[in-house]
Amino acid sequence: MRDVMAAAASGLTVEVSGLRFGYGAAPIFDGLDLRLEPGEFAVLAGANGSGKSTLLRLLVGLLRPEAGTVRVLGGSPTDPSILRRIGYAPQGLRTVTSLPVSVTEVVAAGLVPSKPLFGRMGRSDWRRVNAAIDAVGLGDLSAECLFELSGGQQQRAILARALVGDPELLLLDEPTTGIDPAARPGVVREFHRRAEAGATVVAVSHDPDEFHEVCERILVLEEGRLEPITHDEFHHRYHQHAGRT
Amino acid sequence: MSRLFLVWAVQAYVAGAAVGIAAPVIGCFLVQRRLSLIGDAVGHLAFAGVGLGVAIGVAPLWGALAIAVIGAIGLEWLRVRGRLAGDLSLALVFYLGLALGLVIISARGGLTASVQGVLFGSIFTITWGDVAAIAALCAVVVTFTAVFYKELVAVALDEETARASGLPVDRLNVLLVVLTALLVAAGMRVVGLLLIASLLVVPVAAGSRLAHSFRGSMFWAATAGLFSAIVGLVIALVQGEVSPGGTIVLTSAVVFVLAAVLGRRAARRHPRTVAS
Repeated sequence: MRDVMAAAASGLTVEVSGLRFGYGAAPIFDGLDLRLEPGEFAVLAGANGSGKSTLLRLLVGLLRPEAGTVRVLGGSPTDPSILRRIGYAPQGLRTVTSLPVSVTEVVAAGLVPSKPLFGRMGRSDWRRVNAAIDAVGLGDLSAECLFELSGGQQQRAILARALVGDPELLLLDEPTTGIDPAARPGVVREFHRRAEAGATVVAVSHDPDEFHEVCERILVLEEGRLEPITHDEFHHRYHQHAGRT
Repeated sequence: MSRLFLVWAVQAYVAGAAVGIAAPVIGCFLVQRRLSLIGDAVGHLAFAGVGLGVAIGVAPLWGALAIAVIGAIGLEWLRVRGRLAGDLSLALVFYLGLALGLVIISARGGLTASVQGVLFGSIFTITWGDVAAIAALCAVVVTFTAVFYKELVAVALDEETARASGLPVDRLNVLLVVLTALLVAAGMRVVGLLLIASLLVVPVAAGSRLAHSFRGSMFWAATAGLFSAIVGLVIALVQGEVSPGGTIVLTSAVVFVLAAVLGRRAARRHPRTVAS
């Protein structure tokens, strides 16, 4: 794995200040601040529509803030050289594919941005692809067509695509959705291993309990602001909310 | 049977083989991205280019090539800005291109058999110069696809994630439509502007029934395209009167049906067990 600690030693991995963004007249975020350090593992929680996925999309430059600043890995999220150091796993494949695509091809696509334009995939690249596939427990299915797999297996392939480039910042949108309970701990442990190696991990989740053993900090998005709370505080709020409804 | 080996038949084999291989190669990316109709739209625009070429005294191939490239870039510009959603916009482009070409050519008194050749192909009347131009255009398409293969696949699989990972998605999309325009121009004399889009799609559909990967689909699609071109030409040569463009496309349709049946049988004989 690349020495991400050295790269991250210069400062914060994520630095968002005074962020304002909305799809319509009413902003989703208005004055949102976020600071994440190298090696930090944060779970991003919040109600549906609170802006969790939107925040990740702002961090990878797919959306532009109306006001405020967003800096990742010391630069702008619109800079390709910065984006190549980020592993982003959206919720499912963003394209409904028409042709068969193997798991290996999907995961290898995650390495393409880090390769020179005319560069070919070498043996070491394919070793990294296989290692990423093994890391999410799909080693036996690497040659299979992605769309012959279950939803959970497809999700693991998408996670492997985000992991394969050994990114310094991992942005995962509901990474365990669809994955069966038996396989979830292994996937979460892999994220934890990446964080221990120095990568910053942000995982959007409706169920922060899944990350209880690997992450102490839950960032709850409410009314356009982020509030850091503990697992106990999250439980307390969740049960109170469940009790009311 | 002797006509199968005449010079003009050999010229047709070479040109047909070049387009038969190159069309599915670029077609894989179009089908994967649900842009199959782009080939049709570019083909219709190229007809307007033929008309303009006739009007200013330029060879039909170069007129078609110029307008196809400009039109393809314009279509991509509209698509990116969300102004080409749905089939209505593409249909408007089809009819505009066809009508424009028709008006210009008829005004010049050129509604002759050569126009029929542009629309439906005239592969048995091409010269070695035409063969060289067609082969060169197809070589450019295949070479650029090979050079940018991994980037084009990454964008075809998931455009948004490719953009989020720093790939130059917009430039790769322009490359894809320009290569499509080159292929359309190359196929004009082989199967005609009205049928060239079918070679971008039908062999790809056949290849996708036989493979479990994108690369495998492309291999089988190119094989199906090559087979269809040669067999379609042989049928037209043996029969003597039918349009070779039509026999090539009909052969590719038969190949698709065979691939669909064989692919299903193979799946039944060797069921792939996938753990949950």
